[in-house]
Amino acid sequence: MLIKIDGKECGCKHGEFILEVAKRNGIEIPNLCHHEGLPGQGCCRVCIVEVEINGWRNIVTACVYPLERECEVFTNSPRVIKQRAMVLALLHSLAPGSSEVSELCEKYNVPSYRRFVKKNDTKCILCGLCAKACESLGTGAISTVNRGTGKAVTTPYGEPSYECVGCASCAKVCPTGAIMVEEGAGSRKIWGKKIPLLKCKKCGEPAGTYMELRRAAEKLGEGMPELCEACRKKEIAEKLASIYGY
Amino acid sequence: MPEQNITYEDITPLLLKYPKDQRHALAIMQDMQRHFNYIPRKGLEALADYLGCHISGLYSMATFYKSLSLKPKGRHIIKVCDGTACHIRGAVNLVSGIERVLGISADEVTGDGEFSLELVNCLGSCALAPVMVVDDEYYGKVTTDRLPEIFDALRGEARP
Repeated sequence: MLIKIDGKECGCKHGEFILEVAKRNGIEIPNLCHHEGLPGQGCCRVCIVEVEINGWRNIVTACVYPLERECEVFTNSPRVIKQRAMVLALLHSLAPGSSEVSELCEKYNVPSYRRFVKKNDTKCILCGLCAKACESLGTGAISTVNRGTGKAVTTPYGEPSYECVGCASCAKVCPTGAIMVEEGAGSRKIWGKKIPLLKCKKCGEPAGTYMELRRAAEKLGEGMPELCEACRKKEIAEKLASIYGY
Repeated sequence: MPEQNITYEDITPLLLKYPKDQRHALAIMQDMQRHFNYIPRKGLEALADYLGCHISGLYSMATFYKSLSLKPKGRHIIKVCDGTACHIRGAVNLVSGIERVLGISADEVTGDGEFSLELVNCLGSCALAPVMVVDDEYYGKVTTDRLPEIFDALRGEARP
């Protein structure tokens, strides 16, 4: 199937999402809550584009809109520019502390609306990607709580979670760096919980928290890993090199 | 019932009414809400254990729905309408009247655990404004001098 994005012809499969096709063809569509490993979140609405099918034009969300027939996509039409500016302005008032959001606002010339009240200096845009990451890893230590203006991401009862293994995946997927991770001497502090770190036997760098490595080892049915990821990769590469005689 | 007096013997019968399936989580939580007037922490933990899911997901649900509460509510729940019609006909006076009679404002519970007060936005009975609903019984055109009589009658009554 052939579609046109901003006038450029792009090949795509039936059911593929616009954002993937655009990315493959080097067309930039801004987004915040999209993560390749956790697709389908579709809640930041920054990636909106305009789609024209048989003369009908519609604003859709590029990261969750499946391509089912030939169409033309516009990523910078006047309607997209106007609506995206509003989305970004609202996100900026929700998370004034986020440099990612303010950079996007600057890039797309978003005017500042005086009627949008900035309440606090948070970085969180409440996309829920962190909770999704935690859940899909099988930990399920954090979730979104309350709703409306009181919505937030926390652990149950706001207490240090006994389920959290301190893998910091939530912080890694966060598009705005809103989750605090403190890594001090020999321990990592996240969601109010301090978990000891295990050091790599080779390089001495932290390989991960004791709890996350034990969880991984249990799942794989192996012993506790002794090396950090970089050293493990290096060891495998050396092994392969000696096998193939490089 | 305070949290420390709730035992797993109180909770288990509520769980066993439903099969071990996550889609029953909300129904079980509603039963707990009805039984204890709130969802105790032990109840939420037992439910997570029973359904084999994470407590975070249940906590998320319990905080999302307004009909579920993590703090104990009163035996009788007073809902005062503060929609447009009721507001104009003096819902605010009604709320301050309740504050005088029972000593609680919105989202609070009386010390004896008998009453809790909630403000709602419309009960669909604007002709009766100002409207108050206590335990699903409607009181229309309520005046503040009727309040002590209504609450005294309810105090002696068993919960429906």
